[in-house]
Order: sequence, then C-alpha cells, then structure tokens
Amino acid sequence: MSDPLPRLLRRKGERVTPSAGPPLTGPAVVSPAADATARARWRALALTDPIARLVRNAAHAGIDDELFDLRQLALAAVDLVVGSMGFAREATLEEVSDTLTGLAARMAPEHAGQARDVAAVVLKGLLNETHEHRRFTYWFADLSGERARSEPYSFRLLALRDAEYGPVLVASDQAITLFLHGLDVDLEDADRALAHVLQRQLDDRRFDAAVRTAAQAERSSVGISATLAELLDATRRDVGTHDWLVDVPDRLAAARRHVEERIGEDDRFLEHVQSGLDAETSPDVRAASGRIVDLLARVRSVHLDLERRLVGAREVFLSAQVRQRLARRRRLRMLALGDDLLLPVLAAPRADATVVTSAFADRALGVSVPRLVHFDDLVDQLWAPPRQREAAEPEVEDVGAADPDAEEDVQRYPAPVVAAAREVLDTARDEPARVSALLDACEGSDEADQVAELVLLTALWAFAPDAADGESTDERTDAGALASGLVAEDDGRVLDHRLARGRDLVLRASVRTAAEDEAEDMDAEELTA
Amino acid sequence: MTAVAADLTEVRAAAELVAFGLRRRSRPVEGSEYRALLDRYRSELRFRDVVDTMAEGLGLEVLGTPRSGIVLAPEPSGPFATRLGDLRTMDAEEKLVFGLILLGIAAYAYPQDVDFDDPETKLVDVVKIDEFLRSAIDTLRVQEGEGPAGGHDGERARAAAEAYADLPQLITTQTGRRARGCTLRAIEDALGWLSDQGAAKEAPTLGPDVHHLTDRFRLLVGDSAGGAALDALRELRAAQDGAAR
Repeated sequence: MSDPLPRLLRRKGERVTPSAGPPLTGPAVVSPAADATARARWRALALTDPIARLVRNAAHAGIDDELFDLRQLALAAVDLVVGSMGFAREATLEEVSDTLTGLAARMAPEHAGQARDVAAVVLKGLLNETHEHRRFTYWFADLSGERARSEPYSFRLLALRDAEYGPVLVASDQAITLFLHGLDVDLEDADRALAHVLQRQLDDRRFDAAVRTAAQAERSSVGISATLAELLDATRRDVGTHDWLVDVPDRLAAARRHVEERIGEDDRFLEHVQSGLDAETSPDVRAASGRIVDLLARVRSVHLDLERRLVGAREVFLSAQVRQRLARRRRLRMLALGDDLLLPVLAAPRADATVVTSAFADRALGVSVPRLVHFDDLVDQLWAPPRQREAAEPEVEDVGAADPDAEEDVQRYPAPVVAAAREVLDTARDEPARVSALLDACEGSDEADQVAELVLLTALWAFAPDAADGESTDERTDAGALASGLVAEDDGRVLDHRLARGRDLVLRASVRTAAEDEAEDMDAEELTA
Repeated sequence: MTAVAADLTEVRAAAELVAFGLRRRSRPVEGSEYRALLDRYRSELRFRDVVDTMAEGLGLEVLGTPRSGIVLAPEPSGPFATRLGDLRTMDAEEKLVFGLILLGIAAYAYPQDVDFDDPETKLVDVVKIDEFLRSAIDTLRVQEGEGPAGGHDGERARAAAEAYADLPQLITTQTGRRARGCTLRAIEDALGWLSDQGAAKEAPTLGPDVHHLTDRFRLLVGDSAGGAALDALRELRAAQDGAAR
C-alpha cells in the first residue's frame, strides 16, 4: 500500500482550505473521526512550519539548503536544549551555537567558513527572529459551525531565559512533544499506517471499509512474513546472499520491534471490535464486526508466526553457514535498462541486435500454454484418411426453422388460413357436406377468400388427386394434406358461388377397408426397402 | 532442498498453483482457491520448495508472487516458452523492430533498477513509446557523429536503430486507423500482445493508447528478460573482442 500519510494530510488540507464561494451552509464532514482530530493534527502540522520557513529564509541569507541539512540542525538544536533541561545548568545560546556550528562544518567541510552563519540562521529561525522573537502564530479555520471561523494558534519552539550564567535556551512543551516524540514514528511502516486507517474507520463506524482495511492489514502482514521467509529461504540456499553481519541483524531487530508492537496492537484492536460487537444490535454491523474479528485474529496469528520465525532466524543462518550450500540461482538485476541495453542494442549491427532483442522478447512475453498443433500432430492429421461427409450439405434452410413466421413460404397458405380451412373441412368428415355449404361456412373468418379458395382446392383434390405426385408429395401441399381422408362425389348439382362455378361436390370422409390399409402398408415397406 | 519426501496432496496443491499461474485470466481474489494457495506459497517454506521444484521440472521459474498472482517465467527451450515468431509470421526486419519495441517499452517504464522494486503500475502510451525510441535513436546519432563512424560492412552492419528509424511513424488506412508498416501500429500490436500475455492491460479511461504494465511484466523484464538480453549482449561483445585480438 502506498504511504497513506500524504493522503491523510491532503484530506486535512482540503478541510482547512477556506472556500472561495458563499459561506458554508453546514459542516462539510470528511469523517467524524477526522473532524474530531483535525484541530490537533493541524496544530502538529503547524508546529513544523517554522522549520520550513527557516529553510526558505536561509536561501536569502545565501545558505545552500543542499549543502547544509538545516532541518537536521533544527532537530539537533531542540535535542540539545531538551538534553540540558532539568539539569543544574541549562545550555546557553553559545553552547548550542557552537555545537550546531560543529555539526554544520561536518556536513560541508569545504564550506566550513559558513558553518557559524548556518548555526545562527537555524537558531534565529527557531527563536522567530523575523517577528522579534514573538510567538509563532497560525490561523486555524474552524469549520464546525455554520460559518468558518478563524482561530489563532500561537506557540514557541525555543525560548531564551535569563539565568545566573547568562541567557539559556529552553524548549517549549510543544517543541518537546512534537520534535522528540511526535516525529519519532516509522512513516514507512505500512502495517502501522493500516492500523491507523482501521482505527479511523472503526471510529467513524464505517465497518465495511474497516473490513477491507483489516483484510489489507492481513495482506501486509503476510507480506512482511513473506519477505522474512524469502530472506531465510535465501539464506538456507546461500549464506552469501544477505549480509548477516550488519544488514540482516538490523532488519531482524526492526522486524522484532514491529512484531512486538503489533501483537499488542492486535489484541487492543480485537478487544475494541469485540466490545463493540457485544454492545451492537444492528445485524449489519455485527456481521461486519465479526468479519473484522476473524481477519484480525488471522493477522494476529501471522504476527505470532512471524515472531516464531524471528526467534528461529539466527538458527537458520548458523545452520546454513554450517552447510554452506550453493545457491540454486542468484538473480542479478541489471542497472539501467535504457543505457545498458537499449542504446547499445540500437547501436549494434542488425544481426547482433536481433540476437539480443530476441533473447529479451522471448522472455518478456512470458508463458504460453501450447494450444495449437505440434508438428507431429499436424503430420498425423494430414496423413489421416479423408473424413466421410456425414451430412449431405450444410442445412442452410434449417436455420430459419426456429422462426416459422419469418421464413414462411410465399407459395403456401399462411398457417391461420390452413387452420381455418381445416376447421371447415372437418365438418365434412363428421357428415357429408356440399362444397357450397362449406364455402358459406368460410365467410365468417378473417381471410374468407383465401380460406374458401383452399377449401375449394381441397374439394377438387379429393375429387381428383394428382396421381403423378404420389402420396408422399401430397402431404406437402396444403390442399393435399387437408384432402387426405376425404372423398368428393359428383351428384350433378350445380354450384354457383362468387368464387367458383361448376359442380357442387359432396365431400365426405372416405371409408377405408382393411384391405386397402394392408396394401398401403406393403407399399410403404417396399419404398423404404 | 533437503531430501524430504513431499506429501502427495502437497504436490497436487503445488501443481494447482502452477496451473493457476499458467492461466492468464485467473486472479487470486479474496477467498478463492488460488488465493489460498498463493498465501500458502508466501508463508510456507516447504510448500514453496515443492512449487519451485515442480515449476523447474516443467521448464518454468517462479519469479515472484505479487498481489496479481504468481508470476512464472518460461525456460526458452521449455514447452511453455513464447517466441516472438509465434505471435505472427514476420521477417527478420520486423522481428528486430518488434524486439526493439518491447525493449523500448521496458526501458521507458523501468529506466533504473530501482524501478523493478517499485510496485507502482507504470503507464505507457503508444505515441510516447515511439517518441522515446526515436529520441534514443537521435541521441545515438549525435554520439556517433562525435565518435568513430562504425558500420562499413554494408547492409548487414547497419545499425539496428536504422531499421526502426526507416519506418514511418504513421500510415493510415482508408478508415483512418493505423495501418501496418508504421511504428505506431507496431507498438500498438506489441502492446496488444503484451495484453494477451497478461503483461499489460488497456486503460481506456486514461486514453485510447494507454496501457498499464502489470507486475507480471515488471518481474519478467527485471528478473528474466533483462538479464538474458544483457548476457546475450555481453557474449556478443566478448566474441567481438576475441575476433579483434
């Protein structure tokens, strides 16, 4: 996770920036917990401003900020002053100035002549010389009410007192608190940063966010654990990979401090959330708290695990040293990709450059899981006998089959017409009916003419089936299909209808004999054979 | 690794983790099997050894386990290797240009070795990569103008830079897109391949040509490709020095 500190500061910055528009209608709550501590954090921020100011002013005095570390000198001044406080004899201005001069001279030996000026600038800055040694004053914009209200905050860092042996320096409470204690934090400690964020979210009762933060805290702890594991692992493989004389012991000590602190914190957090859990009634909050408790418990176990590893770390080193195994591999990262690789390759002849770029590209592209055919597979496939065609042709027509309306054959009658005609004709199956009666029965339907036409065609079909087509094709035409099972007889009566003129046929259901059925079955068998 | 018999269930779990690493789309989201295996790899030394050993046998190397998942690098001769030539049929010239582009993308994103330790995602832009490569070529020309003129062996000895510089920056198709044969299109293609390989990711919110480079690419370049290319370069130089003597 990136250092959350700037973000927090930024958030705070937004909070105190006076708005240019109309007066605020209400408090712009960033987060309840943020607002609660905004003033205190603002003050801590303001306390460091005199140092920033003295660094800026030093430039006017011709002092190069890059040669002399003025911030460190300012801290040293506070340290010196605080170190002498409470003893019988406090540090005088000269003593502090002398010590600072010595430190400054060490920072830039070639500019030692300037060192005394530098010390003077630092002390003057801390004493607020530019404002006649008055207190430093900063204005805090209080946004908690309806309107923003400015509120002064005044403080000193160092002050001069008159003592029996001349003027002595004392540090203010603010200077002591911030510069000795407040700034003594490991800002790069991601775990701690997450803990702060988590604390803030719990205070704000943003439990969902807190769950995520707790999960992140777990990851971060696992990460630390993994780094240590990697270190120990590397040591097991090759003692020479890490500097066990200086670097590793320092890192282990830092890790031990961290773990020690975190284990205490974990317990505190767990207790905090658990107590909230007991008092809370909202089921959502209870669920979120439960998840946080689980996560924190895991974080805690990671920390405990880390502690165990730390305790055994030295032992790993010693035993690895005894075994002195060879490293399986050692990763050497090159220095600068641009200068060491790109430029030489660009300057190289093409053939050489291709060798290098291929070596690079073939690895930079990462893994590929082979999915395409290998040469062997390809040869096998080419030698294989040609595949039998299983389907005659791709059935293009079938694509539309799912949507009959869209693909209706224009040569056929629409389905509603066929259905209506069938309904009319069915009456003839029950008892013989004249075509004129059937045509009259058609009149009521929506597409009367079409239905009548189909009924008429059916009657003609029943009277004289198209012998050439054979029965199987009969089924495909609407009239043929409708006419199956019907016969038409001509008894000489004349039909005079608006759509047709001729003989008024009588339609009735055909009476099939068992012999006929048998003959037809045999025909069918012959056809399939 | 000491001679300890690995538990078969452990071997299976290790194989699963390697399989997750081979699948480019899988992500170790919270609560997933992948995530559990990844955490196990990070925290359990024994399991880590089993995974590393198994990967080694498959012609893979575990480069690291960033949050996005386990990063595997292929042995160039192994079954999982990706070669530039596999991605498209290309002639020697094209191959060189694409190689230079990939190197350029890496050099643009990670100029110093510390950048390989920085987990911040780098953003690259098609046009910026082209500008970066062309300015590197210009720098080179200035340097060569001062130094002894190299390359008197005809076409073969012409500097690789020329292969890139010869290409136009942009040719457009009738529909207004970038056509093949220009460097911007080649960079677009290269970034597309990297995206397919899970080494980059398009960032359409930041612009049509912008890509994130993933941790996978960072580790692949820092711990595998960069070293391999540098070795190749050193070998060539050693051979040239030998020939000169």
